[in-house]
Amino acid sequence: MIALARKTLVYEWRRFVPAVLAVGFSGLLLAVQAALVLGIFGSAALYVTASSADLWAGYPGTQSVNFGRAIDPGVEMRLRLDPEIAAVEPYLWVDGEWSAGSVSSGSVSIYLSGISTRPDALMFAQVLPTALRDRLREPGAVIVDPVDLDTLSVEVGGRAWINSHAVHVVAVVPGLRGLGGVNVLASLDTARQIGGADAAAGSTYYVARTVGTGRAEAVRARLMAGRGSMGPVEFWTAPEFAQRSQWYWLLDTGAGVAVLFMALIVCLVGAVITSQSLASVVANSAREYAMLNALGASRWALARVVVEQSFWIGGLGLLLALLASSGLLLIAAAYHVPVAMTLLVALGCVLLVACLVLCSGLVAVRGLMRADPTLLLR
Amino acid sequence: MSSETATVQKTSANPKPSLMAEGLDKAFMSGKIRVQVLQSLGISIYPGELTLVAGPSGCGKSTLMSLLSGLQRPDAGHVYALGQDISHLDRRELERFRLLNTGFVFQGFNLFPALTATEQVQLPLGYMGVDDKRSADRAMRALEEVGMVHRANMRPAELSGGERQRVAIARAIVKEPPLLFADEPTSALDAENGQRVIDILHRIAGTHGATVLCVSHDPRLIRHADRVLEMEDGAIRSDRRSGTHDSQGVCA
Ligand SMILES: Nc1ncnc2c1ncn2[C@@H]1O[C@H](COP(=O)(O)OP(=O)(O)O)[C@@H](O)[C@H]1O
Ligand SMILES: [Mg+2]
Repeated sequence: MIALARKTLVYEWRRFVPAVLAVGFSGLLLAVQAALVLGIFGSAALYVTASSADLWAGYPGTQSVNFGRAIDPGVEMRLRLDPEIAAVEPYLWVDGEWSAGSVSSGSVSIYLSGISTRPDALMFAQVLPTALRDRLREPGAVIVDPVDLDTLSVEVGGRAWINSHAVHVVAVVPGLRGLGGVNVLASLDTARQIGGADAAAGSTYYVARTVGTGRAEAVRARLMAGRGSMGPVEFWTAPEFAQRSQWYWLLDTGAGVAVLFMALIVCLVGAVITSQSLASVVANSAREYAMLNALGASRWALARVVVEQSFWIGGLGLLLALLASSGLLLIAAAYHVPVAMTLLVALGCVLLVACLVLCSGLVAVRGLMRADPTLLLR
Repeated sequence: MSSETATVQKTSANPKPSLMAEGLDKAFMSGKIRVQVLQSLGISIYPGELTLVAGPSGCGKSTLMSLLSGLQRPDAGHVYALGQDISHLDRRELERFRLLNTGFVFQGFNLFPALTATEQVQLPLGYMGVDDKRSADRAMRALEEVGMVHRANMRPAELSGGERQRVAIARAIVKEPPLLFADEPTSALDAENGQRVIDILHRIAGTHGATVLCVSHDPRLIRHADRVLEMEDGAIRSDRRSGTHDSQGVCA
């Protein structure tokens, strides 16, 4: 069989360039959008994902880490008593106002995380080296992300105020950028002092590590069942709480709808351009196709040529999208733009683009129905 | 070759028509007006000769050809092609019939820009399930028949109009169809190339015993045909055979 689809694609490649570019561009936009969503909304759960705790105790119904409220200090005891729990520590959340230079100058809203300074502490264990954590023991010592220094108008070693309490930046650690506010790390004592009366009573969260792996879910269920004697509290496994925080930002803030809407537009525009340029290629060859049909080639056989062409276009477009989006995301990451990508999401983008190409191909195939051999009569 | 004696012999040896139409009706809607192109037309076409349907533009020649070749279905009446009634076959059955039995040459050459002459000719064989090696051999033979072997590896852009039409003829005859249809095959060509094309069509009727039906308003072709049907306003007005073998008109 003469490879009509492929030979035409090679010989008349200029005609197919718009379609390949449309597919490539759709893929690129989808991937970048997904990466931004993962990067930005992923950071809503930074507190969970950057820590090595696998159980979280917090105020019932807390939708996102940043909405924590003080819970009964008795919860810590309850956690420690569970035979399958190896370590427990409090995590104090304080919403604060940061001002640099002087108390009266403009302020930035920050999320102050009061964390344990023990060497084997759980909170932020993935990003905070032990040596730096140790420096938080100093009263008023804080650590921020280097990228946030500008926002905070401060330098390493510089002084500033949080809620009118003096603090000084002892170090910077990358990987602390958050959503909705700048993350500032301090010791539990520093955070309590800054938080004042609210914070002094107990803690916003208690985080724990279970003994064996894969036991978190079972321990959580047991803790939930034995809640009766305690004040208001709810327990989550780490992945559950992380997802809760991300979904909150994605769905309840309307950001998710905006993202879906954008993705829809991207797909729609991509499909329109791809199908239009494929259809014009088909229309351009309508007489030749009609000739083949006159000679007895079935419409189905002709449709296969068009579908094969759209597969090639899809493949080339996806390759283009892959190269362009990896390049762009690497550059973005180098400039500290919050981007992230997972294999599953990447496959999702590929699938979406493949659907787009298939639909475009089918629309273009409809143009074949006009390639009737009576067209050739004179 | 002496086409006239050959024609007489073949016609007398094959009294059975390979194409026969009875009571053909075909009308088209032009806006809200119904234009009756053919009305109860009857005709018989014989194998082994080149039959030319001549007549002024718009008299219904192409419509008649499309009905006889299974490109369209008549509104009423019957078309018997190779003994089979094709007037009521559905689209797929017509495609199948055409695949097995018919070749076409049109005014436009309708060659794929991306394919070489050989590939153009091979292409229809692929749809019949002929493998690439055998189709390449057969394509070469067909190109030989139209004198285009020396251009076998060229694409349409590198060929002249006459050469393109010869490739198109090779594509039409490569499956050795018993029925070969040509609609204004010379209209886009100069006199010399037109002459060449009609000679080839004539020769195919003689050597392959194929039924060659050519439809044209070009009066220059008349002297090359074995039989000439003059058409006017959707009806056949006269039926002449070259040489001695004259017959009566088969007008509707
Ligand atoms: N598909 C069609 N739709 C409408 N009118 C048509 C169509 N095909 C042919 N006709 C009309 O039928 C008449 C005969 O056409 P045709 O058979 O092509 O004539 P010829 O080939 O003798 O020039 C013309 O008037 C033409 O306009
Ligand atoms: Mg015509």
